[in-house]
Amino acid sequence: MAAWRSLLVALACTPLPGLHAEPVAYAIDPSHTKVYWEVRHFGTSTHRGRFDSVEGSIEIDREKGQGDVSISIATASISSGVPALDAVLRNGSFLASASNPTAYFVAKQLRFDGDRINALRGEFTLRGVSRPLSLKASNFGCRTDAELKREVCGGDFETEILRSDYGSTFGLPFVGDKVRLLISIEGIRQ
Amino acid sequence: MKKTVFALAAFSVVGLAHAEIATYAVDPTHTFVTFEAKHFNTSTLRGRFDKKEGTVSFDRQGKSGKAEINIDAGSISTGVPALDNHLKSKDFFDATQLSSVKFVGDKFTFDGDKVSAVAGELTMLGKTVPVTLKATNFNCYTNPLLKREVCGGDFETTIARTQWGMNYGLQYGLPDSIHLLIQVEAVKQ
Repeated sequence: MAAWRSLLVALACTPLPGLHAEPVAYAIDPSHTKVYWEVRHFGTSTHRGRFDSVEGSIEIDREKGQGDVSISIATASISSGVPALDAVLRNGSFLASASNPTAYFVAKQLRFDGDRINALRGEFTLRGVSRPLSLKASNFGCRTDAELKREVCGGDFETEILRSDYGSTFGLPFVGDKVRLLISIEGIRQ
Repeated sequence: MKKTVFALAAFSVVGLAHAEIATYAVDPTHTFVTFEAKHFNTSTLRGRFDKKEGTVSFDRQGKSGKAEINIDAGSISTGVPALDNHLKSKDFFDATQLSSVKFVGDKFTFDGDKVSAVAGELTMLGKTVPVTLKATNFNCYTNPLLKREVCGGDFETTIARTQWGMNYGLQYGLPDSIHLLIQVEAVKQ
């Protein structure tokens, strides 16, 4: 009887720490996940565009303050609103989409402010060149989606890159080297 | 006598040059209205309008100007076709009935010779409401490809869409407040 009892206690105890330590997986919702870019044109107006095809997964372990973010961007899905410009952007001196169809961002270092992510540190690969990159997070939040009846977490992430660091030199210096990346991400709990 | 005529002629030419209003045609490949809306207070959803046309005239010396930009609401593009279709519907832009969105700005504010604000009226869904755009990065340059002067910059404002009667989704938590980021470049005619 006593043994039976201790077994129950043991069983009741083990799942709890296990559950807490377990990372929670989220699949990226492509309809609310986009990578937007901004670049200055002739030192004057800001030209904006986006990448329409973004996939990936996120794991968050809130207890440990850890996680794993993996995002892939189809470079040919660039969309500026000007089809002729998109064709130029896909070519060799800009994105080289034919030889480098995918750009990647992977991060294992997540910084939390309470239970909100406020920064990601990882590596960005563009045109086959990988470099360290940090994203600043804002508006990170989770909610229960009324339609999906599941937890959805997301927010805004931003960073700046010098495209020449990745070998993208088209139009310099008339089209700016500094590219601001604004990334909207929402992930659905799996 | 001859001298006076010369002086008068020279004076009036300079006077005319100063008063001259330069006209610019909006370059549709470098002119975009982008909107930003918060999605349930988390990620930001952005979209743009791909079809637009317009003219801008301004007088740097006289510090005045007029801008008129027409946007085809049916050309809305978010990168999510199902969302675009919803935004074109009666719930939002009613793009089949009232496809035109129009901004007319006729009160230019200058900071030195740079435009710093443009006030005017925005017409959407048949309603006209005053709007002021804040300008940054205003600049004119000679475009080496066009070999013409191009003036442009970034303009922004925040509107409450309900002012135009666009009320859909407020009860589900979709925001009333919409941030507009407007890129404009216009080529001297």
